[in-house]
Amino acid sequence: MLSYTLRRLLLLIPVFLAVSVIIFAIIHLIPGDPVDNLLKVGSGPEQRAIIEARYGLDRPLPVQYAMWLGKVLTGDLGTAIVGRRPVADLVLQALPYSLALGSLALLFSTVVGIFLGVVAALNRGKLADQTIMTGVLLGSTVPSFWLGLLMILTFSVYFQWFPVSGARGWSSLVLPVLTIGLGGTALVARVTRVAMIEAAGRDFVLLLHAKGMHPMRIQLRHVLRHALIPVVTILALRIGWVLGGAVTIEVVFARPGLGTLLIKALNQHDYPVVQASLLILAMAVMLGTLLGDILQAAMDPRVRAALT
Amino acid sequence: MTLTLRHRMLAASVSLAALLGAPVLAQEAVFVVSQDQVGVPTYNVVMTGNTNTGATMIYDTLVVQAADQSFHPGLAESWEEAADGMSWTFKLKSGVKFHNDEPLTAATIVTWIGFFTASDNSYMTASIEKIEAVDDLTVKMTMKHPDPNLLYNLSSSFMGVVEPKAFVEMGADYGVIGAVGTGPFKLESFTIGSETVLVRNDDYTWGSSLAENKGPAKIAKVTLREIAEESTAFLELKTGGVDMLMSVPTDFLGELAKEPTITTLTLPGQEVVYMPINVTKAPFDDIKVREAAAFAINQQEILDSVYSGVGSVANQFLISSLPESQVDPKYLVSFDPARSAKLLDEAGWAMGADGVRAKDGVPLKVSLWTQSDSVFRRLTEVVQAELKAVGIDSEITNFDSSTIRDQYKTGEQQLAVRSYYWNNADIVDWFFGGDRLGYPNISMFNDPKAEELRAKAMSGSANQTERQANFKIYHEYILSQFVMAPIYQPVANFGYNTARLKMPATIAGTTIDGQTILSMEVTE
Amino acid sequence: MTALAQTAIIRSLRTPKGTIAGAWLLALVFMAIFAPVLTSYQYDVQNLKGAFAPPSAEHWLGTDEFGRDLLTRLMYGARTSLSVSGIAIGISVLVGMILGASAGFFGGKFDRAVTVVVDLTWSFPEILVALILVAIIGPGVTGTMAAIGVAYLAQFTRLTRAQIMAIKGETYIEASRSLGASDAYIVFRHLIPNALAPVLVSAMLATGDAIILEATLGFFGLGAQPPTPSWGGMMSSGSALLFKAPWIILLPGLAVAITVIAINLYGDALIRALDIRERLRQA
Repeated sequence: MLSYTLRRLLLLIPVFLAVSVIIFAIIHLIPGDPVDNLLKVGSGPEQRAIIEARYGLDRPLPVQYAMWLGKVLTGDLGTAIVGRRPVADLVLQALPYSLALGSLALLFSTVVGIFLGVVAALNRGKLADQTIMTGVLLGSTVPSFWLGLLMILTFSVYFQWFPVSGARGWSSLVLPVLTIGLGGTALVARVTRVAMIEAAGRDFVLLLHAKGMHPMRIQLRHVLRHALIPVVTILALRIGWVLGGAVTIEVVFARPGLGTLLIKALNQHDYPVVQASLLILAMAVMLGTLLGDILQAAMDPRVRAALT
Repeated sequence: MTLTLRHRMLAASVSLAALLGAPVLAQEAVFVVSQDQVGVPTYNVVMTGNTNTGATMIYDTLVVQAADQSFHPGLAESWEEAADGMSWTFKLKSGVKFHNDEPLTAATIVTWIGFFTASDNSYMTASIEKIEAVDDLTVKMTMKHPDPNLLYNLSSSFMGVVEPKAFVEMGADYGVIGAVGTGPFKLESFTIGSETVLVRNDDYTWGSSLAENKGPAKIAKVTLREIAEESTAFLELKTGGVDMLMSVPTDFLGELAKEPTITTLTLPGQEVVYMPINVTKAPFDDIKVREAAAFAINQQEILDSVYSGVGSVANQFLISSLPESQVDPKYLVSFDPARSAKLLDEAGWAMGADGVRAKDGVPLKVSLWTQSDSVFRRLTEVVQAELKAVGIDSEITNFDSSTIRDQYKTGEQQLAVRSYYWNNADIVDWFFGGDRLGYPNISMFNDPKAEELRAKAMSGSANQTERQANFKIYHEYILSQFVMAPIYQPVANFGYNTARLKMPATIAGTTIDGQTILSMEVTE
Repeated sequence: MTALAQTAIIRSLRTPKGTIAGAWLLALVFMAIFAPVLTSYQYDVQNLKGAFAPPSAEHWLGTDEFGRDLLTRLMYGARTSLSVSGIAIGISVLVGMILGASAGFFGGKFDRAVTVVVDLTWSFPEILVALILVAIIGPGVTGTMAAIGVAYLAQFTRLTRAQIMAIKGETYIEASRSLGASDAYIVFRHLIPNALAPVLVSAMLATGDAIILEATLGFFGLGAQPPTPSWGGMMSSGSALLFKAPWIILLPGLAVAITVIAINLYGDALIRALDIRERLRQA
């Protein structure tokens, strides 16, 4: 198990390098120039050259890339061109907001999704199943910004329970978490339901039934445990959503976060910020994939056996 | 019994609020800055072309301008202009110190004025030949030529007095990671495009002659929020999430009037909404096409439909309270589709079957830029339809409000819809000066006659009357070249929560800024 | 192949859910195509005096902030939303199948490289991928199409690759190869046709997601530019008018939700009719 994990971690290095090249290339494909932001009114090419030199933008792209990568590896994410602050500060400032929103939404989707999935599987084909599955489908087919706006209208404006926007205290987290969480619930519920139904048909379950174990106990102890494997894998794979997928909701609720930081920087052509936020997102995604694989290996006896 | 559910919900809402709500601490207030100030990148007022309300709270100016446009003592206790206008002497208040405990002296002023030579705002101090400290609290400016606009410049928020040591020390970071002035509030934190937190300067006792309260401020902490979407800002005010909106969209005035605890305060506007026309891009290199586009804009229809009839139409470039706006009526631009059609015919653009004009097989298709907030987008769609009505097909491109200024610097725009805030005729110089092509000179207008009139208006006027006459001529010439189409002139609507904020009896100055916020009170 | 498609469609329509969903989708496509005939209003002609009219006999769904008939805008909006999402997914499927098929068939370094990139983009939130791509290409219909296309590319590459991997080892492929069939023959004659059904069904489901993504880009003001109506664009301007005229944002949102549900339900029915659930899950 340990050697498997280590091997996978080592494999991340070439992937990381490839990703950094891709990100760097993408940034330079975006039309527009960060220097425009800094140039004084009516300045000529000389002033442009001075600013370009200050940020190393006059070097050839491979050199810029090497310099950037070298700094990143020593933990220096650079300085924001427009924001003027160290990029690490900006990212660290935004990260807690994204983490709070993303992890709570993920938690909500997981708990509610697994619960609904289990209930639906236990009542397979009955009204409860139909209602739940149609309900969660509805939650995933409405555009999230639309749902968010309706939530604001209902719970912030009409009932005045929660703030309209911003990120002040826990109360301002409720609506964004619900909005994102409801969208993710459908996926978790669907996967749980199918996995439960499938696991229920396995030989060992039939054996447990034959042994006379209480059906509810079988379902919750054995079937659910098996059914959770694909759920966990899917959740781990979607860890990128936790950090960056909330951008639409961040905009609707005027919340700070990594997504907002990235989009703003993208608009301002603030390369160092865009690069750093993309790299952090990509790393989260890679680690999420790895985590998913390891968890799957740890939970699935067959995979575990194959590895040792 | 029917009430039960509602009651329960109310009870639940109270307990939820208690459980989850971040309690608003005593003496704290949250304001939403006006729409045009969203994304202002720095509090470096010396260097930047755009400032916000926060700058007027961090910095004081030597002179302050009252609502009637007259000038009164700020950090300068008194001043004197030489009879020939060739020198000015300012006497500073004593005992004033900056947020970093440095004292305000004549030497500070001398160093600070020197910073302007290398800035976008150099025109503000361009008329000063030499500045010297006569004694510790007396400054003398020797002029290159009489400058009737000097006091106005010294009262503008760009000339908030900056502490020179901090300014030099922080270099390019000044205004973003820190800002040091003498104002009633200190900068605690600034997140570009999001919010600024300002805390009371407890040493402040030098409120301007216009301020009711001379200091320190009655509010301990002010958060200025930047909310890009106006409807969100409105909902925040309505639900008590913020205490004041520095600009209430006209769409929501009716809604706010229904709220018992919200009052709208209306002040004369300083904004003009207009459509710059890039004179260097075909087909607008032809003055007839420019004139046709300008006369296609239906100002009255826009006022009624987009702005609910609040404010007034704009027929020239300046706010109507300025004397320089009183141009010869023949220069006024007012909706006349027949005139547009005639001009386009003359210019060779013949109406096609699809309602789009064409010349030599090329359709009359142009780009129309706008910024991403909803009111501008709506206005731009109306403008697009109005242009279409005379046969000009325009394609709208939305830019993020905080970055559109950089986009203009590329000079690729043809038409754009935007607005400016300023209450001085020198805005004509700012937006149409030949040395500022791209931005602010979005029209890319560079014309020898205009430059000549501009120079005369900016530096060739011995007194206010002469300056007004010169600017009027310059303004008229700009209008005659159809480098923009005037659209609309708003009034300034401030909406605030009367259960939270107590406004002073008089507003100190032409708008609500630091000197009025100094006297505001929060009630719990 | 056509016979299979016919049976699948007939079978999928047998369930009530499939029938209702199929009927809605058909009606929607019909409305989108025949919008100019179905309505006497034009989508781009403003009547500012008649703005913000609530639903009435004259305007069944009311008018927007420019006095334009909302039903008309919704029908033309369906055109934009459906065609943008459909074309984007179409391109995505085509490129994805080629990439996935070659990766699955040839294996080796090429396969590994494709898998790494695909896994990575697949795990990235589509909206971020799309927003970055629109920043590169520029806003508008083309930009949106390309952005959506790339955002879903990973999904189809993965799926096709998995299908090919599963079929590759089957005996009849071996047999065909031993009879001297070329690589291209095997790929186009055996592998792709066999992988087609699951890919097409998942393409249909992805079109539902693409409609939401298109609406979201429209909400950011990056989709079809005015006066061209799109559901997202309509919601974008409606969001500022939530208070004054809630129907402007409610209706396109409902249109998106119902359409995406219909696509999902019909897709489910198709999966059942084709009996390919197992194969879809392999990816």
